[in-house]
Amino acid sequence: MAKNKNSYSMIMVIVSVLIVFAIIKVIAPYVFMILLAKDHTMPTPSTLLLWYMVLAVLASLVYVSTSDLKWANFLSFILPAGDDKFKALFQKMMVIAFPLLVGWFVYSGTVPGTASPVELRIQHPTLLQEFEKLENPFANADEATKRKCIEEGKHLYQQNCRPCHGSKADGNGPFANAFRLRPINFTDPGTIATVVENFAFWRIKEGGPGLPAVSTPWDSAMPAWKDVLTDTQIWKIIMGEYVTAGVQSRQREEMEH
Amino acid sequence: MSKIKNKSVLRNILISMLAGIFVIMCLRDSDAQTSQLFRVYSTEVSGKIAETSEAVAAGKKIYEIKCYYCHGIKGDGNGSDAPRLDPKPRNFTRNEYKIRSTGPGVLPTDEDLYRIISSGVEGSAMPFWNTLKPEERWQVIFYIKTFNPEFKNKSDRSEVSLAGGTASSPDSIKRGKKLFKEAKCILCHGEDGRGEGPITTTLKKQWDLQFKARDLTQSWMYKGGNTEGDIFRTITTGLNETPMGSYADYLTDDDRWHLSHYVKSISHDMKTDVVLKSKLLEGNLPKGPDDVAWDTLEAVELPLAGQIVASPRFWTPSANSIRIRSFYNDKNIAFLVEWDDRTNEQSEIYSDAVALQFPTKIPEGLKKPYFAMGDSSKGVELLHWKAYDESVLTVQSSEEDNIETEADGGSEAEDEPDEAESEETADEEQEDELVSEGSAMQEFEGFFSIKEMNAKGFKRLSVQPDASQNSKGKGHWKNGKWQVMITRPLFTRDKKIDVQFEKGKLIPYALAVWDGSNSEIKGQKAISSWYYLTLEMTTPNSVYIYAIVAVIMAICIQFWVVARIRRFPTEIPEE
Repeated sequence: MAKNKNSYSMIMVIVSVLIVFAIIKVIAPYVFMILLAKDHTMPTPSTLLLWYMVLAVLASLVYVSTSDLKWANFLSFILPAGDDKFKALFQKMMVIAFPLLVGWFVYSGTVPGTASPVELRIQHPTLLQEFEKLENPFANADEATKRKCIEEGKHLYQQNCRPCHGSKADGNGPFANAFRLRPINFTDPGTIATVVENFAFWRIKEGGPGLPAVSTPWDSAMPAWKDVLTDTQIWKIIMGEYVTAGVQSRQREEMEH
Repeated sequence: MSKIKNKSVLRNILISMLAGIFVIMCLRDSDAQTSQLFRVYSTEVSGKIAETSEAVAAGKKIYEIKCYYCHGIKGDGNGSDAPRLDPKPRNFTRNEYKIRSTGPGVLPTDEDLYRIISSGVEGSAMPFWNTLKPEERWQVIFYIKTFNPEFKNKSDRSEVSLAGGTASSPDSIKRGKKLFKEAKCILCHGEDGRGEGPITTTLKKQWDLQFKARDLTQSWMYKGGNTEGDIFRTITTGLNETPMGSYADYLTDDDRWHLSHYVKSISHDMKTDVVLKSKLLEGNLPKGPDDVAWDTLEAVELPLAGQIVASPRFWTPSANSIRIRSFYNDKNIAFLVEWDDRTNEQSEIYSDAVALQFPTKIPEGLKKPYFAMGDSSKGVELLHWKAYDESVLTVQSSEEDNIETEADGGSEAEDEPDEAESEETADEEQEDELVSEGSAMQEFEGFFSIKEMNAKGFKRLSVQPDASQNSKGKGHWKNGKWQVMITRPLFTRDKKIDVQFEKGKLIPYALAVWDGSNSEIKGQKAISSWYYLTLEMTTPNSVYIYAIVAVIMAICIQFWVVARIRRFPTEIPEE
């Protein structure tokens, strides 16, 4: 009786591994969709899935080998089934499924695929030295001048930046969907709020072509506005841009003397 | 024992379910990415406040921070940004409100205005103002109403009934299709619903009115939502100050629902895929853009935007998406590009056109030429088809045929070889001649040579010499849709200026579209990002051999392990 009671531990191990797989493959995308408030599911990367499955299998094997009794019960499933029909059925399923699974993995690993390449890029590359010391010429102006510059900057923003970055600076302008490297959502606290104004000046003036190679300049649709906008206009756009997005720029660190 | 059996049965069911799920997940192909996430037109209204003078004053303040750049300080739609907008911002001083639940010619309800501010207008620059609190939205609404004195009248601004919704069915769609003709919808929207009806062109040509009927096949461009209920509401209420009238008195409720179901059925969502797979064909490639062979392929649709990278920038492109398919055989590759165009009217200066862009050298690493016309270090090749050039060549070709027929002897006039030098400008138009190769003529009969160009940025554009012009194209416009087939040999002798279509490579490609009737020329065009083209390869036999060998090895290992465990069973220690 004790023997029969424990002889399904191998099946339990297999079921556990499958449950882990289902959770990571199917349930996790929906969970993260809810947590991140997205419109679509968030697929689990295949490399992440692979590592989690390896860990699950190893954990199961460690568990069943913690004692001689557990290990014997685990292996006893492979012994002849005798009168237990369910055990015989499970054994047949295992015998058939394992080679098919191996064949499937070999096939899917060697069949030529057409996935798009992974393109890593650095979102905030190092600011060029020539732009590092620039200062906003209106930073120390009086309030009336500042307000006037912000208003003019907002007009310039709505005329030039709105088609991609949107009327409320959320990266949802009419042209946004056409570019695989989407326009930046300025309202996101991880974008212009984390950089100094000089960085924004550099990006507006030099655009995508001015980026270093680590930031894939060939895919960036950010125009180089230096051909039509003066430096003064760019500074005004920066002021208007921050106000439109409702964030503030990062302040420069105090220089040590 | 019976208790154990029940437990085993449940366990068996669970394992079967999990095994089934596992198989389904392994076999299912991944869906194409949906890059165009349509925002739902939300009908929910909340937090209405009293319309007081304080609320109007607060709304004025918000309006002058958020709204007046487009809608203007006087609400007349003439803000500083308005010249670059298509469609134009709403003029609040007129009865131009389109998306309403009120009857024809009636101003919208406050709730209608709330829905517009909350959901935005798809296909325009009007964003969904989720950043404004409901109280703030109501304040802006009350201020906007002050621009039109008619809002003060106590006339009826009640919502019309939108009841009686029925489920869609093939019979309903068929009935709707019939009504689409009987109710004269095709006069503006066209036979296939792409907005190319005769009234649309008449309004523009004769009266210079810029009304453009909706392209009903593009569900992502529907204003005021694209559900059947939204469509029904638009058919019922009409759009004020446009040729779209109300059909509430002309059609019964049921008929309007049938019509809504039909309109919904002809619209499609945009499905974009990063990789375009060129399918291998044995034998000849399709004969033209309307060949039935193209229907076996599923198109990849790419969203387009105006060219804003280089001056002069383009803010109001006509095309917002383009579809592409591809076939190849052992010698040539063919592309079919389709885009919606209400009219094929054009001139010698402004021509409908499409260009395919490839890097002249397939990038090895991740580094690519700049996606818009390349850059100084990495150039691109352009296959440039122009509708006007093709129409001119068609006329010339027919004239040549007539001349040859009129000659008694039927002797062929010798064509003098026109050795045009490579030009450093795209302004000069070059007359291309038919390629005289017999085999090429048979496979691509009726095709004309199209222009191959190289670019290293917008200002460094050059046309390839005649001997290097290997591409051919043929276009076809019908019912508001251009279909252009472009072919080129897989490999050419000009390795420095031509892309070579190699198997097993991911070849970047980008598209550009010009609409002559929208005065688009040179850099004034709609462009796409880099996407990838790959030539589909048949699965080599080695893959199957490896899989079979792996299965056999797995079987051997499995039986060896089982036999060993059964021969030397692990003794269960006694408790």
